[in-house]
Amino acid sequence: MDILLAQTLIQGLLIGGAYALIAIGMCLTYNVSGIVNFAHGDFLTLGMFIAFGLQAAAALDPYVSVAITLPLLAMLGALTYQYLLRPVARSHALVIIQLTLGLSFVLQNGLLMIFGGQPVRTPSALEASILVLGDLFIRTPQLIAFCTSLALTLVLFLVLGYTETGRRIRAVHQNPQAAALMGIDVPRVRTLTFAAGIGILAVSGALLLPGTTIWPAQGLRFTVITLMALILGGMTDFAGVYIGALVIGIAEAVGTVYVAGTTGMILPYGIFILVLLLRPNGLFGRAA
Amino acid sequence: MLRIEGLTAAYDGPPALSDVSLHVDKGEILGLLGANNSGKSTLINCISGLVRPLAGCISFEGADITRLKPHERVANGIVQVPEGRQVFPQMSVLENLLLGGTSRGARSHRSTRLDQAFALFPRLAERRPQLAGTLSGGEQQMLAIGRALMSGPRLLMLDEPSLGLSPLFVQIIFKALGELNKEGLTLLLIEQNLTLTLAYASRGVVLERGQIAIEGTREMLKGDPRTRAAYLGL
Repeated sequence: MDILLAQTLIQGLLIGGAYALIAIGMCLTYNVSGIVNFAHGDFLTLGMFIAFGLQAAAALDPYVSVAITLPLLAMLGALTYQYLLRPVARSHALVIIQLTLGLSFVLQNGLLMIFGGQPVRTPSALEASILVLGDLFIRTPQLIAFCTSLALTLVLFLVLGYTETGRRIRAVHQNPQAAALMGIDVPRVRTLTFAAGIGILAVSGALLLPGTTIWPAQGLRFTVITLMALILGGMTDFAGVYIGALVIGIAEAVGTVYVAGTTGMILPYGIFILVLLLRPNGLFGRAA
Repeated sequence: MLRIEGLTAAYDGPPALSDVSLHVDKGEILGLLGANNSGKSTLINCISGLVRPLAGCISFEGADITRLKPHERVANGIVQVPEGRQVFPQMSVLENLLLGGTSRGARSHRSTRLDQAFALFPRLAERRPQLAGTLSGGEQQMLAIGRALMSGPRLLMLDEPSLGLSPLFVQIIFKALGELNKEGLTLLLIEQNLTLTLAYASRGVVLERGQIAIEGTREMLKGDPRTRAAYLGL
């Protein structure tokens, strides 16, 4: 195989794997509470900036500070669900979209006020580390991001499928009213799932940080990537969403390498639209 | 055992229940009768805590439960088998049953209660790994009842368990309910099938437009021409 192509595909696969975990986070929150959170990418950005701040203030490596950002974001997710989203959960979908979009702006501008608009880098021990495999170069942080994301996705899959907690979460997803009648505390399950779905973003943030520049307004881009992966994957199915994210990652890499200039950035969106034209229920969706 | 006083409830609009008072005695089968939209389901949803009443109070075994959350009422021994069965379609029969025994204090009894449910409905044991959504209506009703029993209820409320079932399954279900009652389980039974209800229930309450129209023993209801009239919505 052409080396450039192989390098591009690997790059896309690795970045797609990192995106996948972000999408799995939204897959959890969306399926259990029915809320599409347009501030999802901004929570990710918030986690990244907190990690940046901790590095600047206390010289903590992002891989270490995740021990702080994870509980912090999880708590923030729980509070957001409990006090902002739950009160409007029964309202029209547009009200919820407006609320999460509003939250997105608040987070973005809050970060802008504190950190300014300049892109910043977070130093990390492994940021310049590169693995050489024959003719291929792999950036170590991206490999770590890919492997950790895959492992965490598998763990979540097993928890959902084979534990008591997972069974409760699936029950709330399939029929919240019946779940309540079975003695399940539905609001509590939803709050905890939101905490998990947002908490995961702290991990994603730490994995993406080394060697990347971040800026306060980047959140919406991640939200859009997440939504595309989710829709490609059929919204509910972990494996589908994971593969959806890989497709987006590979499309992004191929577009950047093979299509001249900024036009290449359009490729993931083009592929997304094309897939939906051909398979309106997602890559693996069955006709309704 | 269960006592309801002055219960009033409404969705958006006129009250679905107004000033309803009734009681369920330990060990009995109370039939809750009435035409469609007479407030039967609203009443048991108030008892389950899914609907917040506007006024009135509900007490169970002497304790006021009006403000308790739905899952707390299950833990207290009040369990509902909802209308339309509401099994979890994409889970196996076994998983559905396990979910029934998820409340506080129920988990330690899981394996014995699972055996009891399978003994009551052997069909469920055969279908153990099958997805609940692929069961027939009658099998789903068995599953819904078995699932409710997993939490060890002291009061079991059933919302139209015979709805959409073949006569054979109706027979199986009601025979099982009769057995459960003989073993001491108190039942609150909503039914469209008047004859069937009056065959099993020791006492009945007829609701009419959110209010109690008639209340009395099985014999009284059978003899009262208003029973049939109220039931037909006349």
